[in-house]
Amino acid sequence: MKTEPDPDPSERAAWETEFEAASRRPLKVRWRYAFIRTYKPVLDDAEYRSFETTADYRDWCEKNLPSWLGYGQAV
Amino acid sequence: MAKQFEYTQAEKIRDAFAEHGVRYLFLGKSGAVLLGFPDTTQDADVFLEKSEANGTAAVAALRELDFALTDEQASEIRRGKDFVQLKNGPFDLDLVFAPDGIERFSDAWSRHIEIEGFFVCHPDDIIASKAATNRVKDRESLPRLRAFRDYWLRRRP
Repeated sequence: MKTEPDPDPSERAAWETEFEAASRRPLKVRWRYAFIRTYKPVLDDAEYRSFETTADYRDWCEKNLPSWLGYGQAV
Repeated sequence: MAKQFEYTQAEKIRDAFAEHGVRYLFLGKSGAVLLGFPDTTQDADVFLEKSEANGTAAVAALRELDFALTDEQASEIRRGKDFVQLKNGPFDLDLVFAPDGIERFSDAWSRHIEIEGFFVCHPDDIIASKAATNRVKDRESLPRLRAFRDYWLRRRP
């Protein structure tokens, strides 16, 4: 279900320009530009986690991660 | 802290998964980046078919890539726990056996895209998964991702 507002035409046009520019870059370059590493508190503090269900994982994120990381359903 | 996820490492995943016959699809923003979506992300999500044979193949490939999996962790991957977060290797990787918004691996596989040997979910599945998850960070990225999907469909040969 779509709940987000549509972008205005100028924003959409700017995105299309970015998509065009990206399409001219080789995959290797796109990949290098995409992966930005920053420390995420709590999330990055364990080397391994596993959850029986995806719902358990979502619930864990909601309860344990700072809301500003955006892994929950509300800020 | 894990190191930056370099393209050469992505190639190593691709090649190790191919060598071991792992049934996988890149999902999430990393999948969208493979399709050409210009955006940033921090880790890669792979959707794995849930079967013991596929879990066993994935464990073998991940160990070859220097993920330090204990026997217990390997066992959890073999049996396909729905969500496994790996930060014990050369880069961060989420193994997703049951993503939100996608009913079956076979459904996603029937629509998948191959980009330079990488198997990637169709943009509709990436969007469906993010929409079903409904996290703040996914809601923020969806309008741009939908615009990219429209652009990608127009450009697709």
